[in-house]
Amino acid sequence: MPAYHSSFLGDTDARVIGNFAMFPLRTKTRGPAYVLPLLGPEDDEIHLDPESESYDILDETLLLFRANTLFRNFEIKGPADRVLIYGILFISECLGKIKPNMTGREAEKALNTLALEHFALPGDPTFPLNALFAPPKDRNDADTLRQYISQMRQELAIRLLSRVYFESATVPSKWWLSFTKRKFMGKNL
Amino acid sequence: MSTSQTPAVVMDNGTGYSKLGFAGNDAPSFVFPTAIATKGATGGSGSGSGRPAVAQKPSFLTGGAGPGGHLSAKRGTEDLDFFIGDEALAAAKGPGYGIDYPIRHGQIENWDHMERFWQSSIFKYLRVEPEDHYFLLTEPPLNPPESRESTAEIMFESFNCAGLYIAVQAVLALAASWTSSKVQDRSLTGTVIDSGDGVTHVIPVAEGYVIGSSIRSIPIAGRDITYFVQSLLRDRGEPDSSLKTAESIKEEFCYVCPDIVKEFSKYDREPDKFQKYVVDQGAGRKVTVDVGYERFLAPEIFFNPEIYSSDFLTPLPEVVDGVIQSSPIDVRKGLYKNIVLSGGSTLYKDFGRRLQRDIRNLVQERLEMSERRAGVKSSGLEVSVITHKRQRYGPWFGGSLLGQTPEFRSYCHTKQEYDEIGPSIVRRFALLGGPGGTA
Repeated sequence: MPAYHSSFLGDTDARVIGNFAMFPLRTKTRGPAYVLPLLGPEDDEIHLDPESESYDILDETLLLFRANTLFRNFEIKGPADRVLIYGILFISECLGKIKPNMTGREAEKALNTLALEHFALPGDPTFPLNALFAPPKDRNDADTLRQYISQMRQELAIRLLSRVYFESATVPSKWWLSFTKRKFMGKNL
Repeated sequence: MSTSQTPAVVMDNGTGYSKLGFAGNDAPSFVFPTAIATKGATGGSGSGSGRPAVAQKPSFLTGGAGPGGHLSAKRGTEDLDFFIGDEALAAAKGPGYGIDYPIRHGQIENWDHMERFWQSSIFKYLRVEPEDHYFLLTEPPLNPPESRESTAEIMFESFNCAGLYIAVQAVLALAASWTSSKVQDRSLTGTVIDSGDGVTHVIPVAEGYVIGSSIRSIPIAGRDITYFVQSLLRDRGEPDSSLKTAESIKEEFCYVCPDIVKEFSKYDREPDKFQKYVVDQGAGRKVTVDVGYERFLAPEIFFNPEIYSSDFLTPLPEVVDGVIQSSPIDVRKGLYKNIVLSGGSTLYKDFGRRLQRDIRNLVQERLEMSERRAGVKSSGLEVSVITHKRQRYGPWFGGSLLGQTPEFRSYCHTKQEYDEIGPSIVRRFALLGGPGGTA
């Protein structure tokens, strides 16, 4: 049983830039993503039912992260898998920024900075996965993709924090931090 | 005491541990490391105290001439100064003794040490007179007949034992599975998965004979699981991540899960899945180690070797399927129907269930493909993995079972026959426990 693939592979309605799919997201951040209904206070964000209309690919990324990050090989089956790869590598980067002595507040600040700082897009010389990701075809597409990925990064950072600081607001979960040293596909962003 | 009433002695000498006991018993009387500590010499053949190097062959084989000659001349009391098993490990910690493991990769490498190891096993541990007992020894699959002869020379000439039978471990492991309620017919056809500390073997056996060309071994076994647990403990910065702690955690907490993603979520929802292990570091110092994901991730390396090793990537179920597919077509059905587990690293909870499910899926996929190609409905193929209570010492228990049957003695070669014909007599043994047996 190799690494897990995205369940969104069959979803071909989403717009694709380069070969990166822009799936709808459940987020309050501004950007080009189609917005899914937000959760009510009664919903369990961490164990959201995949059948729910609010379930997005970021929920899946966080679900598969701990298993997939143990693997070094991954066969890409479609645009959804590329979103998954980017998400997993970004989570790894976030975990690297959270130090064991950081409170939830401090970690939030650190991750916010990380999510908003300038990042490489597919096609840029510093992007580490250019062998697997196709560049956007023009400036317009590149801008849209940058805004979409920025949305993904901010939303992932928020949801990751709610998991890492689930038990205590002052001490990060060592179970999550233990994955810091693992490198999915032997890569990092 | 005459030999007609004494139980047979069953000795299963493995690379890691030796299992000694009497036929008819439920469990071996002694289980200890196959290690010997001798004075001076470290690592086997080196000489530390000015004595000649230890000969590789039993002294009596070279007679008066050759390097063994002066060894036997020097056999004084210093030659009795050695320890085996746990005592050897303890002695090797102090000064003056060097440790040696006479069995490597299942085969006996250092005959002089092995002879002394047996000597101590028989006289100091089991405390029997070898001339009063028949002996059942085990050998790995594909053991060369020469080493079987050397074994017989030691057993008959040094120890003067009454009779000897040497059985293949995999065949005995099959016999041990007869205690499971899932086994209806006591056949000696099946696939044995033998996983100890160092290596895991998959051995197909057809009617008591090992199909040598189809055996596969996997470089993942108990020790690797321990290392993996250790690396997970270290990633988390636990206060104690010694090998000993990792091993205890492995033995106490690990199990096989059906799906790792679901299992991770289960740990989020049920915090009592996380456990604590208290390590006594000695001198009254105790530290608590948290135990978490390694509980199911560690045995997972059998099913997803990729998460542990970068050069061996084939999952165990695929290896088993491959072994059976490379065996003669007329025995494949029997090999799928009777997949028997043996050895300490197969004891994880639900190991057999997961293996059975994964092999079934592989077989099903192939059947569906051939159905589509041929357009004929297949009658299906039964895949069954046998888990039983005697798995840990499977080969020993199989030996105990067969060694207590009334016909066991007639399958052995006796001292008399040995004297008449010579060592070559042990190249062949009639198949014990075959059709018509009463085991």
